[in-house]
Amino acid sequence: MSDVLKELEGILNVALPGNLVEEVIKVEEGHFDVMSNVTNAFELMKILREDAGIYHLSTISGVEKDDEFNVCYHIQHRIEDEFREVPINLIITKIDKNKPKTPSMIEFFVAADYYEREIYDFYGIYFENHPFLQRLILPERWPDDVKPMRKEYGWEQIKEITMKITKEGLEEAK
Amino acid sequence: MTEQYRSRFRTLTDGSDAPPGADHHIFIGPQHPWAEEPAHFIIHLKGERVVEADIRIGFNLRGIEKAMENKTWRQNTMLIPRACGICSAVHQNVYVRLAEKLAGIEDQISERAKLIRMFSLEAERIHSHILWYGILAHDAGFDTMLHVTWRDREIILDIVEDFSGNRVNPALMLIGGVKRDIPKEKADRAQPMLDKLIKQVEYHKKVFTEEASIRNRLEDVGILIKEDAKKVTPNGPTGRGSGLPFDVRKATPYELYDKIDWNLVYYTEGDILATTLVRLDETLESLQMCKQILYQLESTQGELLARVKQKIPEGSYFARGEAPRGEDVHYGIANGTDTPERYKIRAPSLGNIDATLKRMDGEYVADMPVILRSYDPCFSCTNRVMIINEVTGEKMILNQDEFARKVIKAKKYNRPFF
Repeated sequence: MSDVLKELEGILNVALPGNLVEEVIKVEEGHFDVMSNVTNAFELMKILREDAGIYHLSTISGVEKDDEFNVCYHIQHRIEDEFREVPINLIITKIDKNKPKTPSMIEFFVAADYYEREIYDFYGIYFENHPFLQRLILPERWPDDVKPMRKEYGWEQIKEITMKITKEGLEEAK
Repeated sequence: MTEQYRSRFRTLTDGSDAPPGADHHIFIGPQHPWAEEPAHFIIHLKGERVVEADIRIGFNLRGIEKAMENKTWRQNTMLIPRACGICSAVHQNVYVRLAEKLAGIEDQISERAKLIRMFSLEAERIHSHILWYGILAHDAGFDTMLHVTWRDREIILDIVEDFSGNRVNPALMLIGGVKRDIPKEKADRAQPMLDKLIKQVEYHKKVFTEEASIRNRLEDVGILIKEDAKKVTPNGPTGRGSGLPFDVRKATPYELYDKIDWNLVYYTEGDILATTLVRLDETLESLQMCKQILYQLESTQGELLARVKQKIPEGSYFARGEAPRGEDVHYGIANGTDTPERYKIRAPSLGNIDATLKRMDGEYVADMPVILRSYDPCFSCTNRVMIINEVTGEKMILNQDEFARKVIKAKKYNRPFF
């Protein structure tokens, strides 16, 4: 692990404190997975954004595990002289399933807004310090307590809800 | 940073939370003659100048990510191109590369299969770019150009149809390779057509750079400087028009993009004309790549399809591809069975919205159609369904609402669908 961490530090030209990083995995040449937990993720992102100068956020994805949620920030380290990018997946682990909560990264990336709201819609993960955490993609009539991407909701249930709200909408339009 | 780009945190629908100084508010969409697809723009004006702009999206959720978790990796190969109507091949390409990487067979794909994939991707880029700058000319009030470009776009669509059987959704790729070969006689037929299209696109470029009536509508309009671009993170041609020289094909080469001759196109001006020129130059670049690929296909042999197991071992991978509109991002997690555990798609348009809202600050309201068009909005293009009666062969084309209405009626009165 330490070799991979050293390689990543060499590419980014910063020191990543060992207590903030849980694990670093090299997926392939110039492509890294960095694991961190909820308490340390904000500090780590601050180092990556302000010291290493990473400014491009590709997307954020939410992942449901058996006993926890993960949120994955896909960021790109850009080397402009060589027209090259180093993809880094910063995976925030150990998000409590009963009270999902994680720090918002909107302070570092303006683009994080849409992606975080999308995850809030689909998984119900609450992003702390997000100034405007509201529904983005789900329809207006969608019930608030149903988070469609969670595993507890099957395909059939989602279809039923969709049909129900469509029917309500059509009846109202009459 | 959030104060600086506050525009999108306003909820206003009745003018109650208007930005300081704004005296008029224009609402565009969700249904509007300007846009083919549903999105709601709110533009705050002071006189004729834009103070702030905001957007609401989410009128076309189809639940593809959820649907993918309920189908096998093999079935998803044909579901994934439906994520977008125009850039269907690139979604499929990113998906199959991701699945191949997880299955550990990425070395077994033959060069011939990779070349055929690349041809499909570049042909898609050509027809998407030509479509886009045609509509841009239409928005700028230059309809002749729309007709000229769309006439010429038929050339590349004919080639794609000849190779794959479909015009805009070639669906050539499978996990492990490609579905169809490109035989020599078809490649020979396509070469002169590509030559003709190169001449036409050079003519289009001449019109966009020399014809005053269109150039004046685009030059120095909606400028996004590099410093701002770094904050709002545009991708694809939107970013390359503002001096961010990043293209996934160059940044992290996939398929055989590192073995073929091509130049990265980027401009530093940051106005709408720069993004237009990026796309025009890219079209020419893609056309010469297509010619190279067809030439290389003659001497490259190999198996079209490698053997793949149904079950894909545990793991996760993050794959990207350069779609015509920008960077197409997929993140997939496999759990050892034949269905994905989680699959995330981020199409390029979502990443470009911020940049477009930033472009509008301080511009004239008359320039809005051109600026809104600049990032090639594509919320999704597959909002309708065609139903064919198996017995009689009768066809119906329905949109979402008509379809829902019909289904509910059929269920309520317990009668057949037709």
